[in-house]
Amino acid sequence: MTDRPRILLVDDEVAIQRAVGPLLRGRGYDVDVARTGTEALDMFASRSPGLIVLDLGLPDLEGSEVCRRIRMHSQVPIIVLSARGSETDKVNALDLGADDYMTKPFGPEELLARIRVALRRTAAGESPDGGILHAGALAIDYDRRRVVRDEIEVRLTPKEFELLSLLARNRDRVLTHRAILKEIWGPNAVEQPEHLWTLVAQLRKKIEPDPAHPRYLVSEPWVGYRFVTDES
Amino acid sequence: MSTRGSEAWRLAAALAAIGAVTLVLGPVLGTSNASTVSTTYLLVVLLVAATSRLRVAVITSVTAMLCLNFFFLPPTGTFTISEPQNWIALVAFIAVSLMASRLSAVAQARTDEALSRRDELARLFDLGRDVLLITDSREALSILARSIARRFDLEFVAVALPRAGEWEIHQAGGEPVALDPRQLSSAYAAAQTSLEFDAYARTYAGHRTISVNGRDIRLVPLRIGTRPIGVLAAAGRPVEAGTLDTLAGVVAIAVERAYFLEQLKAGELARQSEQLKTTLLASLSHDLRTPLTAISVAASNLKGLELTDAERLEQSDLIQSEAARLTRLFENVLDMARIDAGAVAQDSRWTHPSEIVATAREQVEPALRAHQVDVLIDHDVPVELDPRLTASALAHLLENAGQYSPPGSTIHVDVRLSEEGLVVQVRDHGAGIAPADLPRLFERFYRGAEARTRTSGTGMGLWIVRGLLAAEKGRVWAENGADGGAVFTMTIPVAVKELEPAGSPGS
Repeated sequence: MTDRPRILLVDDEVAIQRAVGPLLRGRGYDVDVARTGTEALDMFASRSPGLIVLDLGLPDLEGSEVCRRIRMHSQVPIIVLSARGSETDKVNALDLGADDYMTKPFGPEELLARIRVALRRTAAGESPDGGILHAGALAIDYDRRRVVRDEIEVRLTPKEFELLSLLARNRDRVLTHRAILKEIWGPNAVEQPEHLWTLVAQLRKKIEPDPAHPRYLVSEPWVGYRFVTDES
Repeated sequence: MSTRGSEAWRLAAALAAIGAVTLVLGPVLGTSNASTVSTTYLLVVLLVAATSRLRVAVITSVTAMLCLNFFFLPPTGTFTISEPQNWIALVAFIAVSLMASRLSAVAQARTDEALSRRDELARLFDLGRDVLLITDSREALSILARSIARRFDLEFVAVALPRAGEWEIHQAGGEPVALDPRQLSSAYAAAQTSLEFDAYARTYAGHRTISVNGRDIRLVPLRIGTRPIGVLAAAGRPVEAGTLDTLAGVVAIAVERAYFLEQLKAGELARQSEQLKTTLLASLSHDLRTPLTAISVAASNLKGLELTDAERLEQSDLIQSEAARLTRLFENVLDMARIDAGAVAQDSRWTHPSEIVATAREQVEPALRAHQVDVLIDHDVPVELDPRLTASALAHLLENAGQYSPPGSTIHVDVRLSEEGLVVQVRDHGAGIAPADLPRLFERFYRGAEARTRTSGTGMGLWIVRGLLAAEKGRVWAENGADGGAVFTMTIPVAVKELEPAGSPGS
């Protein structure tokens, strides 16, 4: 990557622009700032940023609407910022295609880490449906539907494998409960998260070194799950 | 009186008619055919019976019979009858005329009854409408008693309800009557133990008449279904027992309705306060999180990034202004809590209006940085008021003006003294206030159409202004200026110290 990655920061709060703008520039990103949803859509079209940091509380459009419109054209990583207490906004945005979320107030390092992960994921290209994924001591062979942990094969039920490969294909991204339920059990199951809790617990017992403190299958409270590849 | 009079007149007219018939048929026409005469008499009797009371009709019938016998049935001139068939004619005549009178009287009574029913129905209907129009639950029962007294032309009406062992009495009418609680309790107890329907009087049992200071007062149990809930007392015009029962039914429903209204109001209040809490939390959450994020990121920028001096200054500036924003928010929440707790105490001192304006400007300096503030103080003489409350209220108005008018525009502050006290007016050159927002502008957490498009702002400011000024017995209102900008005016009652014309400080 020769070009400095370009980030579009969308937030109507001047204070956030004044703090986060210099932060990102100081860490080697080019930054464009948009104050409204409409401006964000315009700048997205004209500047083609490599990543979007999007506040959900915009004066004109709902942040989730901005998300939806961008997703109609592009798979650019979107990290949503939310200042609201309610989880529904975030979940909505994630369901409409956002990759990750941060709740204000957040620390700068946290934001930078999320940005790095999201950019790396796109740099690696679309997640392949075939091949073998290595994450820590875990190797997932999509073609042969096999999972190996510390050189020992782990026996998974078909549903467990489906869940693991779904999360692994979207590694480092938050998948909402809704999205996972829909993918694995079908659209009628989206209101029944119990299925998911049980399945995640079974899967953790088999692949996590310490199921009580998961390292791969991380919960995002009230939002969903994330498959973490990084060892940090 | 009038019915008696008209009855006498009718009787006289009836007898005159009989006399006239007798004259015309006898001496004038010389008729001797008994059936012609009796048919003519019968016609008169029927006419009288149809228009008069039974008494008049009977007297007319008997007179007609006597005339028939005396003048027309041989031997004429005496009350004796020679031919037996004339006896039959006479008896038939009197029988027919009496029956006709009786029938007519029954029809008359029905009409009268229907009329009085219609009258009662109209009164009850009006009362029902009164009941439905009562919306104030606290005053409901007194209004109800007054409505009954008015609609039914009663001298005294009271609605008595048992409340925790005592009688709660709402009464209306001339002078108040002291109802004996023991008599009320006994009537109520009787209503609780027995419920019989008296089909003849069309009433449920339980009516009583008591005497208070020589006045007869009817006591009627109030019932919802069959369950008694209180007692209705009435005095004055006699009202039929059945009507009183119906009346008691309407009153009972009104009492229940008033009770439900009260419940509804309490529920509504609870719901509103719940909603207030939710709104407060949502807006506080936003207004706290944004400055906290900015401060946290800017502090780490200062520490971790290679910055130029200008950039450093910019970041520390940001931290300062966001900290000030948090402080202001914190003060607002405190003020709000004080107003809610009724703990805003007035602490009056002698101050110059110019000091108040200066203090207020200082408090919200960041919000006014992009604006020109034009202060005009008509008469800067010392006034006695609470400087802290007044400056704080003015600061909110200035902050508002700064937020809702374009950067670079002028905000005018005009201060003058009037009969109402100190008048402070803040005028901006913004878009003004949408007419729909005007009436609700000072409600807590209400945010106008313009404000709702912004993410910051809690909708507390103007409510606080009103609360602060109320503690000083002052007031505040909003309007749109001639040029379209918003104009907020606050007035505070003050004492004024007339100074010697020389030194007026602060000018």
